[in-house]
Amino acid sequence: NYWSDNARIHGSLASSTSKRTHPLRPVSRGPAQGVSEKTSGIWAGVSRGPAQGVSEKTNRVRASVPWNILPEPWNSTMLEWQRTAFHFQPEKNWMNGPLFYNGWYHFFYQYNPNGAVWGDIVWGHAVSKDLINWFHLPLAMVADQWYDKNGVWTGSATILPDGKIVMLYTGSTTEAVQVQNLAFPANHSDPFLIDWVKYHGNPVLVPPPGIYKKDFRDPTTAWLTSEGKWRITIGSKRDKTGISLVYDTKDFINYEMLEAELHAVSGTGMWECVDFFPVSKTEEKGLDTSINGPEVKHVVKVSLDDDRHDYYALGTYHEKNGSWIPDLPEIDVGIGIRYDYGIFYASKTFYDQNKNRRVLWGWIGEGDSEAADMEKGWASLQSIPRTILFDNKTGTNLLQWPVEEIESLRLNGTEFEKVEVKAGSVAPLDVGPGSQLDIIAEFEIDKEALKKATGSNITFSCQTGGGAAKSGALGPFGILVLADESLSEQTPVYFYIAKDSDGDLKTFFCTDLSRSSKAPDVDKQIFGSYVPVLKDENLSLRVLVDHSIVESFAQGGRTVITSRIYPTEAINGASRVFLFNNATETCVTASVKIWQMDSAFIRPYSDDDDKDDDDRKSSAP
Amino acid sequence: MTKIVSLLILEVVFCLTFFTVSYSDINLIQTTCKKTPFYDLCVLTLKSDPRSSTADVSGLARIVADSVNAKAIATLNQISALLKSVKDPTLEKALEGCIVSYNTIIQADIPVAIDAIEKNNPKFAVQSATDAGNEAQACENSFAEKPSNSPIFSGNKAVHDLSVVLQSIASLLL
Repeated sequence: NYWSDNARIHGSLASSTSKRTHPLRPVSRGPAQGVSEKTSGIWAGVSRGPAQGVSEKTNRVRASVPWNILPEPWNSTMLEWQRTAFHFQPEKNWMNGPLFYNGWYHFFYQYNPNGAVWGDIVWGHAVSKDLINWFHLPLAMVADQWYDKNGVWTGSATILPDGKIVMLYTGSTTEAVQVQNLAFPANHSDPFLIDWVKYHGNPVLVPPPGIYKKDFRDPTTAWLTSEGKWRITIGSKRDKTGISLVYDTKDFINYEMLEAELHAVSGTGMWECVDFFPVSKTEEKGLDTSINGPEVKHVVKVSLDDDRHDYYALGTYHEKNGSWIPDLPEIDVGIGIRYDYGIFYASKTFYDQNKNRRVLWGWIGEGDSEAADMEKGWASLQSIPRTILFDNKTGTNLLQWPVEEIESLRLNGTEFEKVEVKAGSVAPLDVGPGSQLDIIAEFEIDKEALKKATGSNITFSCQTGGGAAKSGALGPFGILVLADESLSEQTPVYFYIAKDSDGDLKTFFCTDLSRSSKAPDVDKQIFGSYVPVLKDENLSLRVLVDHSIVESFAQGGRTVITSRIYPTEAINGASRVFLFNNATETCVTASVKIWQMDSAFIRPYSDDDDKDDDDRKSSAP
Repeated sequence: MTKIVSLLILEVVFCLTFFTVSYSDINLIQTTCKKTPFYDLCVLTLKSDPRSSTADVSGLARIVADSVNAKAIATLNQISALLKSVKDPTLEKALEGCIVSYNTIIQADIPVAIDAIEKNNPKFAVQSATDAGNEAQACENSFAEKPSNSPIFSGNKAVHDLSVVLQSIASLLL
């Protein structure tokens, strides 16, 4: 029963609340081996101090100077500020297998228990009631079999009709061959799904003939065929053509590979983390992965190894031969639309049957130096989960929007109605400190200005457009976040309306990192893309600011940009928000609402949490 | 007569085959190094390692990674030695910053690069190699008074340039 299972959880989690030892924390190697006793261990969810973060396998050179000397211009205040308040982040993580089960959202993620770099990958595990506040649980799976000794890599969960879960995941074997393995919960009545069992007959799938043994990874969630079999797809490549192989199975143990690939696109290279799912053309809700029919489109999404970006395309799934055809081959998967034009990779969706929505998770890497990561003791985080909907207004895009639960973190809000921002000006928005904010803004442009503005025959792009400092007739304009009072550091999130020589308007949405920090060793690119804007739409954006991460959404999530920002001045109390208009030929009227955001709790599960559960249970109807 | 001719033909065929095998190793080194911005450095580094005669591109990447590591260790030792006798506080600060950079290269960047090459996840090798080059550059830049002429300039340049070579070769594995 639930309570005795709980008792068992006490037993295995008790040591996670203790500060002395932890089953997952390596024993400190001590000063004798050149490790400062000041460093602490793994649970980055609790400790904010620097951790040693050194893999056991490394070639160690004893230097006479300890780790805590920081390269210019960094100091520990600046580095500590970078840790986010409401984004999920352990030390280093990739992602796989999120799912909702028995009252809890489960997040299994790629984790390196030995350091703030990629390597020694095992499965971390966390649970949440609301996708925002998380409890760390013990590692779900470690690299303890020959078939996953070199890495317990990405996998996907499938929930069977009887409610049971099967997990398929990629293991990197002792010979570094990539194989697919089957695992399932040891105890299906444990809502925390703490223990996992690997199928004794693993691996269930090995690289087929003609496929390189190290180009075969990341199996998807399965969906039902009309014959009642389960179907999965796994990304790979032939030469430089990215492909996705298709397999049918009745039992998740024996598979038959289909002759046709799900799809292939030449020149795109290796397809990682392939995702395949249906979206409704007509209803604003998510669909179970097995749904098919005339009111449905299917999305193929790939993570491209070559450029570390996630691409998606909409199309039609042909069940008979397990193939998929894109609606618009010119924006086929891998050469067309990206989920996110900033730092966002290895994403995957799951169907949340609790709220009938499809939810997207993405992995956000760092944009700073590895040295800073070692110093901080952590690297990379998860995006705020986003709901996915088909954009039936454009018919070509998906809409991504932060899950509604994030709004529970909103504290006091401040509204600014119809602020006129004249050409070439900046207007401060006084909301207090600017490190944890939810910003929603709408911009009106003078219609006459749009008509009269001079067109240009130069093609605009965010990357080549000169950033927020370069004026055009109808842009750039937007907001400045993580900006200090003197604007010596600033991160503009903005629109740019380009008018070509024929008078046609095209809108772009960009984030400019070029002046985001005085530090020389951080990423300073300009991110962004064209965003479709319909005739009677105002320009709108939403920005979530959480310390060193800024997630920006334009036109209800039609175009999204995630960036990592590492200021040296615009931190803590010195961080501000401004409106700006750097266009030469138009005034802009902005309406803005800004909320301060509370911090989420992201920490190990403890005895007190059981008590809260007891209270909740006893007061439940 | 025919016997001699067929023997001759056999000999020629044999020699050609043998010649082709060893020629193609050098060919792989050359074609690979042409895709890096430091051709001579690349060829020299690879040729001086006996493993290169039978290595594929992945193996060549591994050789370069080992070379970056060796150069980094040598430079780190140089920095440590300089720190023992340094008097000037600005110079001392720069050297201490370089210790951090080189610790990162040796303890993080290179091990991750080697692991990623072995497991065929080359983007992490590309990322790590890029970072290693940046760390060496950052170290050199920190000698404000004598940029591009610091007491460890040749070490920094060697590590930087070899990291760029590693980055280029790892990109070929994508």
